[in-house]
Parts: sequence; structure tokens; C-alpha cells
Amino acid sequence: MLTFTLRRISLFIFTMLVLTLLSFSLSFLFPGDTVINHSGQINATASELVQLNKAYQMDKSIVDQYGAYLTHILNGDFGQSMASQSPINNEIIELLPATIELSLVALLIAMVVGIPLGFIAAINHNKASDNVILSLAMLGYSIPVFWLGLLAILVFSIGLGWLPSAGQISLLFEIEFVSGIQFIDILLSDSPYKWQAFSNASAHIILPACVIALAPATIFIRLSRAAMIEVLAASYIRAARAKGLSFQQIIFRHAIRNALIKIIRHVGLQFANLVTIAMVTEVIFSWPGIGRWLIESIYQRDYTAIQSGLLVLSCFIFIIHILTDFIYAALNPLARGNQHGS
Amino acid sequence: MAREKIYLEEVFPSPFMQLWGIFRKTPVAMVGFCCFIFLILLAIFAPILSPYSPVDGNLEMILLPPAWHTDGDVSYLLGTDELGRDMLSRLMYGTSLTFGLSFIVVIFSLVIGVVIGSLSALTRGIKSSFLNHFLDVVLSIPSLLLAIIIVAILGPGISNTVWAIAIVFIPQFIHITRYAVKEEFRKDYVLASRLDGASNFRILYYSVFPNIVERLMSQATLAQSAAILDIATLGFLGLGAQIPLPEWGAILANGLERFYIAPWTVYLPGLAILFAVVATNLVGEGIRHALKLRKEN
Repeated sequence: MLTFTLRRISLFIFTMLVLTLLSFSLSFLFPGDTVINHSGQINATASELVQLNKAYQMDKSIVDQYGAYLTHILNGDFGQSMASQSPINNEIIELLPATIELSLVALLIAMVVGIPLGFIAAINHNKASDNVILSLAMLGYSIPVFWLGLLAILVFSIGLGWLPSAGQISLLFEIEFVSGIQFIDILLSDSPYKWQAFSNASAHIILPACVIALAPATIFIRLSRAAMIEVLAASYIRAARAKGLSFQQIIFRHAIRNALIKIIRHVGLQFANLVTIAMVTEVIFSWPGIGRWLIESIYQRDYTAIQSGLLVLSCFIFIIHILTDFIYAALNPLARGNQHGS
Repeated sequence: MAREKIYLEEVFPSPFMQLWGIFRKTPVAMVGFCCFIFLILLAIFAPILSPYSPVDGNLEMILLPPAWHTDGDVSYLLGTDELGRDMLSRLMYGTSLTFGLSFIVVIFSLVIGVVIGSLSALTRGIKSSFLNHFLDVVLSIPSLLLAIIIVAILGPGISNTVWAIAIVFIPQFIHITRYAVKEEFRKDYVLASRLDGASNFRILYYSVFPNIVERLMSQATLAQSAAILDIATLGFLGLGAQIPLPEWGAILANGLERFYIAPWTVYLPGLAILFAVVATNLVGEGIRHALKLRKEN
């Protein structure tokens, strides 16, 4: 486990270096002055510019410049937003939890729906129900997410009027900002309307989370189907059958556990996909998350915000990736000793 | 002297032809393949086939519903949008933008990715390990996010979108080619031709490529379905194709304001995207299915 941890940590450090290098070089690639792109201070006076140039060591070599940039990032200073002139790290701290909340709920929905369906398909391999589930999965994977979001609004919000179409919670509720994750904040608050707020927030999250969850759910169907087929063909399943275990016992005690381990391995990669879908969905459902903020910064040519948003979002994705790797290794002893696993 | 053919010569079809033989027998895959060919033809011949211009509107025929509707007009089969532009013509021109461009983009990234990937498969040591880690990092960033960032650098527009998506898909192809070439190089038939004195490039060209071409094609269909969705999504977000261009995602975004009174301006382009992606995925599924069957035999 120690070597595994060390390998992961070295991979993490390497990735962070590449990501910061990427966002550092973005300042050069974007139009405009490099130091202004770094700091976002578009209205800086001449003396402020001198100070900025000194802070980012612009007169020294590119390595020193990168070092200065890295120090700023590590101190949590992402510069100012060019559009609003407020510090970006404050904006990110306010917006990122909303995205985390939405994407985690969507991931949960995708797994809860997708994995059992995949297992059902695998158990009925090459039968009608297998084919039906697979065709549905392919259809779900092919639907453009923005179209699905619009149709969902048309049907469930405008047509049937069941669910709200925009925002995170009704503006009537005043919830104090603690962690940023709405559900936790609501539970922590001492408002007398706590439970109304809670049900209102859940009603707001259902539609966007389901829209986001559709495509990852179809991938989980395929993954769990493939994993289950592989497990059911293994010799220990045949041994269990030879022992005279019933079908339910084989599936629930032996097959599902081993198949789940294989799926957990892929959750990290799927999460990256899910976060991108979430960005587009946030725009459609006016969800106050980092994805919508990032796309709006592109409209406004807010280069400092784009750069920091990319860095934070990819760090978030990568941390989830590493976490799932650890969970996988903790659950599966085989993965820890594998020298060539990466 | 003419020699009669006494031996019944055994013909071994090439791996590719074997695959096609299996592919042809799967009806669903063939339906997808026909739709795919249909879309390619439509993308090429849209200017000849379409009844109206995609950008010039007829102001007397604004927001006409599709022909099957009671208020519809049969000369505007799929209705018109808010400027009286024919939806059918716009969707047909859109085929060459959304579908045609995604096809070209994938071919372009495929070629570059295969060249870099096969060269890198021949290197070992620190360079190879660095590339591996680098690819892991790039592949962990979702394609759409990376495309959005590249568009942010280059500025919005259809040509920049195309470049962005081409750059985004290259790492996937490098990764899969590298992996496939390395795997083939471990096999005995490569060793045999190496013992014959073949150089690395000769082995690559004559022995390895014919055996990995289907895997690349299957990856290419995956990439193309993602490319169609990415071009449309960028168009929808206003970062891709700009206003008058009839790109499917942009048409959809355009109809958004009149979503409730003219729903066909939203659901028709959506259906077009869905149709193109499903056709591509069916072809991909067919190839993967055929690959699996060929392996089992």
C-alpha cells in the first residue's frame, strides 16, 4: 500500500505541475499583456504595473516567472476577474460547491440506475431484455445533453409544472453560506422553514441532475454489463454453482461484489465526462455553478477567470480520480501489488 | 504452356475483409451504415438538393409549422423559422457543417495521431514514460472542456471550433495507436519478419497496420460521435458557428427564444443531431461486435 500511495502522490504532483504549466502558458497564448492576464488588473496604473511585474518576476527568466506564478497559486491568489474586478478565489469558493453538489448527486443517480440495469442485462446475456437495455443505453448516450435539458424543461416544468426549471433554490429562502453545499447549509441553518427549504432545494436539483446523469448512466450500464459477464464466466462462479449454491446466492454473494470492484475503477474517468456535461447543463438550468461562470467568462473575454476556472475544475476532476483509485486499491488487494498498474 | 489449376487454392481474406464479412451480416449495423453513407452524401450534395437558400428568408412565410400540421404549407416541408428561412434547407446545409466537418476533423486527427502514436510506440525509456504520463493528464481532461478552452484562446467561430476539436482528439488516437502497436510488436509474427531482416518501419507498414486498422476505425467512430456532439454543443453555447450559419447546434440555440410558440425550430435540429450520432454509434457497435466475433473464431 505504501508504494501504491507513493506512486499516486508522484503522479498527483506531476499532474499538478503539468496543469499549472498549462494555465501559466495560457496567459501567453491569450491576447493581451501576459502580466495583466495573470493578475486580471486591466485598469492598473503605471506604478501598479511596475509592482505587478515585480510580483510576477516578469523581468527574469521564464522559469522564475513560472515559479512566481506557482507561488501565487499556492497562496490561493488567482488574481482578479477582468469583468467584475473581484478576487477570483472568492468567486470560485462560492461557485465550486454548487457544481460539486450537482455533479455528485448526478453521479449517484447514474450509478444507482446504471449499475443494476447493467447487471440485469448481463444476467440475461443475449436475451431480449439484454438487447432492449443495450439499445436504450445507446440511445441515451447519443442524445445531445442541451437538447435533452430543453425537452425536460418543456415537459416537466412548462407542460406538467411539476418541477422548477431554473436555479438552485427558491429566492424566498435565505440560507446562510457555510460550506456552499446547499443541502448541508440548509441542515445547519436554524431557520424555522428548514424542511420546506430542503424539499424546495431537492425539487430544484432533480431535473438538472437527471439530465446530467443520463449519459454517464448509459456508460455505467455498459461497464457493469461487461464486468458482470466477465465475472460470471470466471471459474469461481462455476465452483460456487458446483457446490450447489442457488442462483441468488451466487449473484448476491459472489458475482456482484467482484463486478462492483471492476466498475469502481472506472468511476474516476467517467466523472470527468460528467463534469463537462454538468457545465452545459448549468447554463441551461441557470445553476449558479463554476461551469456557467466559466462559459460566461468566455463570452466576456475574462482571460484570468478562464485560466483559473480551468485549473480549479481539472484539479477537482483529478482529485476525484485519485480518490477512486485509492478506494479501488483499498477494496481490491490485487491492485495494490501490481507493479505495472498505472 | 498454360498450366491448369489443379490445386484448389485456399483464399485467406485480409483481416479487414473478414471483418466486413461479419459486419455485413448484422442487420442493425448495416442500417446504421446506410444512414451514415446517406449523411455523407447529404453533406456533399446539400447545395444541389436543398430547395431554398439556408440564409435568405421569405418574410411572408414566418414561423410556418411543418407540413403535417394543419397550418403547414407543403412547399416548406419542415416549416420555417422566425425569418422565414426553410428549416429543411437549413438542416440539409447543417449536415455538411455538423456532420461533414466532424468527419473531416476525425480523419485529420486520426492521421496525425497514428503517425505520432506509432513513432512513440518505437521509443522506450524516459521519453516514453513522460509521454505516457502526459497523455494520461490530457486524456483526463474532458474533450469538450479542452475544446472550450482552445476556443477561448482562438476566439469563437466555426473554423476555430474545428481546429480545437481536431487538437482535442489527437491524444486519443496517439494513445490507442501506441497501445495497439506495442501489443502487436510483442507477437510472434512480428518477430518472424524481424528475423527476416525487416526494418521497424517495414514491419509497421506491412505487418502491424493491417492488423490494427479496425481498432482505429472503432475508435474513430467513437471520436466522431463525440465530435458531432462537441461541434453542436459549442454551436449551441454560441462559441462555435456564428449567427447565419445553419449549424445544427446554432439553429437550436436560435430557436430557443421561440421555444414555446415554435417548438419545431428546437426539436428538429435536436432530432438531426440524434440521428447522426445514433448512425455513427451503430456503425461503431457493428465494428466492435464484428471484431469480437472474429476474435472468438
